[in-house]
Amino acid sequence: MAAAPSIRLRLTGWYSVVLFLMLVVYASATFLAVRHEFLEQLDEQLHDDFETAEGFLSAAPDGRMAWSGDRHHDADDERDRGSDVWTANGEPVYRSGASGVLPPVALAATTAAARYESLTVDAHRWRTLTGTTLVGGRSVVLRVSRSEERLRAQLWEILVVLVLGLPLVVALAGAGGYVLARRALTPIEHLATEARRITADRLHDRLSVPNPSDEIGRLAAVINETFARLESSFDQLRRFTADASHELRTPLAVIRGIGEMELKETRTAAEYKDAIGSMLEEVDRLTSLVDTLLRLSHGDAGTVRLSREAVDVGRLVRDIASSLAILAEERGQRLTVDAGDGVSVIADRLVLREAITNVIDNAIKYSPKTSDILIRVRQQSDRAVLEVVDHGPGVAPEHRERIFDRFFRIDEARTRESGGTGLGLAIAKWAVHVNGGAISVEDAPTGGSVFRIVLPLATFPATHQQPTPHMGEPV
Amino acid sequence: MRILIVEDERKIAHVLASALDAEHYDVAVAPTGHEGFARVNAEVFDLVVLDLMLPGRSGLEILQALRKRCIETPVLILTARDGVDDRVLGLDLGADDYLVKPFALPELLARVRALLRRGRATDVLRLKAADLELDLVGRRANRGDRLLDLTTREFELLEYLLRHQGHLVSREMLAREVWKEPRRATPLDNVIDVQIARLRRKVDAEGASRLIHTVRGVGFVLREGEP
Repeated sequence: MAAAPSIRLRLTGWYSVVLFLMLVVYASATFLAVRHEFLEQLDEQLHDDFETAEGFLSAAPDGRMAWSGDRHHDADDERDRGSDVWTANGEPVYRSGASGVLPPVALAATTAAARYESLTVDAHRWRTLTGTTLVGGRSVVLRVSRSEERLRAQLWEILVVLVLGLPLVVALAGAGGYVLARRALTPIEHLATEARRITADRLHDRLSVPNPSDEIGRLAAVINETFARLESSFDQLRRFTADASHELRTPLAVIRGIGEMELKETRTAAEYKDAIGSMLEEVDRLTSLVDTLLRLSHGDAGTVRLSREAVDVGRLVRDIASSLAILAEERGQRLTVDAGDGVSVIADRLVLREAITNVIDNAIKYSPKTSDILIRVRQQSDRAVLEVVDHGPGVAPEHRERIFDRFFRIDEARTRESGGTGLGLAIAKWAVHVNGGAISVEDAPTGGSVFRIVLPLATFPATHQQPTPHMGEPV
Repeated sequence: MRILIVEDERKIAHVLASALDAEHYDVAVAPTGHEGFARVNAEVFDLVVLDLMLPGRSGLEILQALRKRCIETPVLILTARDGVDDRVLGLDLGADDYLVKPFALPELLARVRALLRRGRATDVLRLKAADLELDLVGRRANRGDRLLDLTTREFELLEYLLRHQGHLVSREMLAREVWKEPRRATPLDNVIDVQIARLRRKVDAEGASRLIHTVRGVGFVLREGEP
């Protein structure tokens, strides 16, 4: 595909074409009007000539026609003009000037009303006015004629001027248009140059906006917003990469440390076993971290294959709660589930299960011992609402958005101690989103926090299966 | 029982060979795809552990050749973490089971046992270890003459440990087989640990010899004496 010409060239091109067409119409109209006017004038002159000639004719006492007109036509006039007079029966009375080259008048066609005629004799065009008139009571035929050639020459000159001048005007206007277009587009070129300067390394730079209310200013503002979003996702990515490598390095450092330490001295078999076990624990942590990261990256890439089906949220929550209840029991917490049957959503059961598991586990982990945790499932208009209410320390407002970020931890030491990867809520957020829902956290009225998962209610029959077209890691 | 390991990664092949050897299997190792291909065509094995990513001939090719010749030897394939399509293709081509690297050895050994046991009746009504006895029909558990009061989950957990007695059982295996959770997650690991602790309190209580042992970093094992 050939590259399209620049906007500047295209603008100029269109501008010139439109101007050319308009000028063609204008010139044609002008030419036709002038031509019409010229011919009209010629006819008027003939009419005058006719009246003059009538005045020159007089009847002699002998009954003959006499021409008493002046004869001081100059030579040009002699060639360009003529007057002929015939008697009613065709005898020529007077012929003058150029009349010699013109054919005689067909008397039979002559009527009382004067008649204009165009004649061409030897490629020479004439205009004539023929009529009858009474001279001394006798009817004579009078014809006056003028050459059209001078008039035609003038018209031709006008046409030449118009035809030659028109492209010139269009070319000049096009050049002017090009310059104007370039000036109008210069700010865009500036924008492009500035935008090119802003690379991944300097995403904090912004385009200068000279006038925010004009078109270019608005464009620059939009581009700046895009840069801002880009910068924030780059920041997120950078932070994520740093966090991920930190998280990956920690178990590696532990493994290496244990290995090096144990090799320094000879130990008992039991000590070695303990050391190896400890290393394996870190390997386990590393494995599950890599697994989770991989799954999140599949989620980001949209290559997760979901198998959606109707899921009874109440039943699912009771199932998960009974599985995790033992953890709450160990901490002396009371886990209460307030969930009836019949609140169904269309979701991937496993993915949703993971989200809810992580949120409940989170509540158990961060709630103080012997506190209450309430899990509530309700139907709210066309949505299913799942709330996990705990009596933990709550989430500060400035952390509420970031608590679902990957590796975000309010208290670094505590999470690591309880075996978390810092990815539980990130996975939950992804899992809820991918099922068309939303997850949020806010303060509970009783202290602590409420984690809320909102999912669209199922409108399908309960057995409906809806696989998505995504290919990839089954989840 | 002869087992062929087709694996190019020297350390993994060595670990697999030693682990299977310790379980008294007769182990052969083929370090390349070509050699693996030649050996499955020339010799008879009871089981093939097949890595899919091999230099020379790919594991899939070996598997295909094997099945084309109507050899029904069970094949356990090993794939990398991300090779989803390979895994599906492998099962389509007639592999009997798969493990994703990095896998836990107890898991591999359990799969090998299961594949070799396949087709043989394994229905048992009672499971025993030392003076621990599980009545699978009556859903009753006894330690000596002491009746154990177990929850359903504890009973299933104990049953699984007893079925694999003497062998290591990883948390991943328990999550999948006892909790029926297809994916292992940290919360579930904690649940398993707590459940094991409670079960141990009931089974190994009151001066009885310890049967349920934790092997740090690996999992659990039910056996008499030291782990």
